Amino acid sequence: MRIFQKTNFNFIRYRKIAYGFSIILLVVGMVSLAVKGLNYGIDFRGGSEVVIRFEKNVDVGQIRSVLDAAGVSGTLKQYGMDRSFLFSTVFQGDTGQLKSLVSNALNDRIQGNVHEIVRIDAVGPSIASDLKWSAVKALLASLLAILLYVGIRFEIKFATAGVIAIFHDILTVLGLFSLLGGLFAFMPLEMDQSIIAAFLTIAGYSITDTVVVYDRIRERIRGQKPSEYERIFNESMNQTLSRTVITSGTVLLSVFVLFIFAGPAIRGFAFAVFMGILIGTYSSIFVAAPLVYDWLRITKSSVHLRGSKVS
Amino acid sequence: MKNKRFNLLLIAVVTLVALWSLWPTWRDYSFSTQLNSFSSAQDSLKYAMDHREEIDDARKKSLKLGLDLKGGMHLVMEVDQVDLFEQKAWNKDGKFTTIMQNVRAKATQSDARILDLLSAEFRNENIPLSRYFYDIRNSNQEIVGKLDKESEEALTRAKEIIRNRIDQYGVAEPVITTQGSRKIIIELPGVSDENRVRNLLKGTAKLEFRLLREPEEMLRTLDRINTYLLQNTQNSAAVTAAPPVTDSTAAASASLPVSGISSVAPASLPPGTTAPPAVGKQPSSKPLYDVISVSQYGTAYTAAHSREYVLSLLHRSDIQALLPQDSEMLLAAKPDEGNGGEKLYSIYLVRKAPELTGGVITEAKATFGSQSVQPEVMMAMNSEGTSKWARITGANIGKRIAIVLDGSVYSAPVVQSKIPNGSSVINGIGSLEEAKDLEIVLKAGALPAPVRIIEERTVGPSLGADYIRAGMLSLVWSFGAVSVFMLVYYKKAGIAADIALVLNILIVLSVLAGFNASLSLPGIAGIVLTIGMAVDANVLIYERIREELAEGKSVITAVTQGYDRAFSSILDSHVTTLSAAFLLYTYGIGPIQGFAVTLMIGTSASLFTAIVVTREIFNLLLAKNLMSDKSFG
Repeated sequence: MRIFQKTNFNFIRYRKIAYGFSIILLVVGMVSLAVKGLNYGIDFRGGSEVVIRFEKNVDVGQIRSVLDAAGVSGTLKQYGMDRSFLFSTVFQGDTGQLKSLVSNALNDRIQGNVHEIVRIDAVGPSIASDLKWSAVKALLASLLAILLYVGIRFEIKFATAGVIAIFHDILTVLGLFSLLGGLFAFMPLEMDQSIIAAFLTIAGYSITDTVVVYDRIRERIRGQKPSEYERIFNESMNQTLSRTVITSGTVLLSVFVLFIFAGPAIRGFAFAVFMGILIGTYSSIFVAAPLVYDWLRITKSSVHLRGSKVS
Repeated sequence: MKNKRFNLLLIAVVTLVALWSLWPTWRDYSFSTQLNSFSSAQDSLKYAMDHREEIDDARKKSLKLGLDLKGGMHLVMEVDQVDLFEQKAWNKDGKFTTIMQNVRAKATQSDARILDLLSAEFRNENIPLSRYFYDIRNSNQEIVGKLDKESEEALTRAKEIIRNRIDQYGVAEPVITTQGSRKIIIELPGVSDENRVRNLLKGTAKLEFRLLREPEEMLRTLDRINTYLLQNTQNSAAVTAAPPVTDSTAAASASLPVSGISSVAPASLPPGTTAPPAVGKQPSSKPLYDVISVSQYGTAYTAAHSREYVLSLLHRSDIQALLPQDSEMLLAAKPDEGNGGEKLYSIYLVRKAPELTGGVITEAKATFGSQSVQPEVMMAMNSEGTSKWARITGANIGKRIAIVLDGSVYSAPVVQSKIPNGSSVINGIGSLEEAKDLEIVLKAGALPAPVRIIEERTVGPSLGADYIRAGMLSLVWSFGAVSVFMLVYYKKAGIAADIALVLNILIVLSVLAGFNASLSLPGIAGIVLTIGMAVDANVLIYERIREELAEGKSVITAVTQGYDRAFSSILDSHVTTLSAAFLLYTYGIGPIQGFAVTLMIGTSASLFTAIVVTREIFNLLLAKNLMSDKSFG
């Protein structure tokens, strides 16, 4: 079976359209980030969260009024599982107290519908800022590592374009999180540790497709004149198109399964990785390689790729 | 040929080791299904007794489930280094106190090392550290080095003490580790009474026996504070800070009530006392006596609702300066009941230097008292403590000695006779459970500095069961979808990729089991993601082989060149994924690390399974002439 028979798309000619599309994506994302901002989870803002599950169906409004009446201030939302709710409030060192407060109020006022507190998380403000810093450090370090590695394996122009593509992917997903955050009850899209894990996964994986294209370009560009570059770039991308799509496809398949089955704790992560890999596949064809091409064209330099010996 | 044999051998060994490492997990699983299958509890117990060793062994070596899957508590505690350094300092004065307050304020806002904040603060003030720490001849650098070592030791000691407490409380397989310079991470699977554990962990358990100052001295001090406050309010002409009229729930956490030493009667509140008058918003002529009352017997107390306010007052350095030399004012840990049933906390003026500390306690035992049904904790001291205790009690007959735990007075009985045998008793405890917890913390010893819970994640067992179900579903569906796709798209070659995928999952699980790491929900997510990524290498190889075949090469040449030429992109993509996962592991915390670990193992294993294993399968098939150019779909 084959998805693509011999293709012959002129990717390089239409690259400007792709650039425009990417810029729109990024600008929309940035505007949303600036205007609407991000929904931070307790990992990054500090706070306490309680997940309450009821035996029978119950109205959110009813629980909210019960908790209000008991003097427990905080926000109550539907949680992504059946008959479950997420109550979040400011950080309390003594979660036992919070638990008994919530539990007693619900026991008193909502009778005949047993509830269970299935999860409590409390993150102090100091640890939240720790986590934020580790996240930023991990992301920057991984981008640097990729820049160095690809720079050594190929060339610094290729590495830079690859890292720009990763930035493009992560920023687009970040923009999506800002844009769609809080819109869906089953998927609140809060920024937490798992989203950082998603970003690093995207960073590590987004370059995979890019490397596949680069590898083919490296193989074919040896000893060619710069005037031939456009043809070589196009042919390389066409030749690797099916594998680029299929490798991403299998991962998308897995991540889609995670999104559907793995429950609310993983859903935000799965969404981020799914979108990231989708955009990463697009960017390795329409952003990374064309950027290298433009760079070579503008600087009028020829490529001296390392490791281009292929037996 | 030699190389080929080596590869086959390697595959066989890896497969066998993986299966061997997962064998106990299988045994553990079959034992528990066996145990659940018995209709009566008796049969089940008998079976468990008969196979006890095997069951224990299997359980010990089986793949562990993470806290989120099994249910349990994940706690991050922070050692209060500011407090630790304060303890290490000597000839502390007002200047020192203000510096330390600055450091404390800064520490809550940044995550810089406390020691760096401290030395920066001293540098700003242009005071050498040696004025307060260690020897005057030491340079700042030497002192920073010593303090650094000190805090490292404190962290290790705190970890050991917390481990002792948890071991004595009895939690199966706790994991206690330190992180950075001041954090302790505690993982407690399957804990049912979280509240009790929390209380058990957070107390410093610093036990002190302190002499009370004479009652007249305390009354004079209170007068002095009152006058001072009065002047202050008049000077600023501001409204005095009204005490918070909230019910102080903080008291509940510290209410391990203690009172009385051996036969000595506890000093309870005399009858005829009344609650302090209600506090008005107007500046009062006696600001202190609005919140503190004095009985005719010379004891002072405060009502429960003004406890927090009084405590904050006593922490103020300007108020502390008004106390007699080497004295400290402390509050009772547990309220006494006044006439009207209101809760009243006694106030004590005690000597700053303890007569004796909890370090001499060798044995603590929670029992029921002889006269009452109230539980109590009996303590025994080592020989040094015994002789000191005899001397102290002998020299202070008729005086009161306060038993102070973590800065709160549990009781302050009058010494009636010399106690020669080193025994002492804490009685009047609310429940046997409280007494048991007190026994545990006294036995485990005091923490070198206070600890705080700064992060807590608790998952109930029912949610854990849900997570396991969700994780298994994801694994099965992801494996099914990806393997079917490979079969449909690449036909015969897809079979080889699927075999490699099975081996890959086996390797991930067996490495986790072998290294005693646990599998968490994010870990399962990592495996699911690995399933999607592991076949990538095969896709790259197969696509290349298809290309070579299209150029009209023979199957054997196409396979060889396909593997060779695809290798460089496979390597590059694996290295980038691995380095991202590694950084995630390095900087990530707790649950995220589980994801990073499975992703790392899975990705590295796929280099072996997707390249070596499938290659060997093709070699075998080629040798038997079972491959054609149709085999790659």
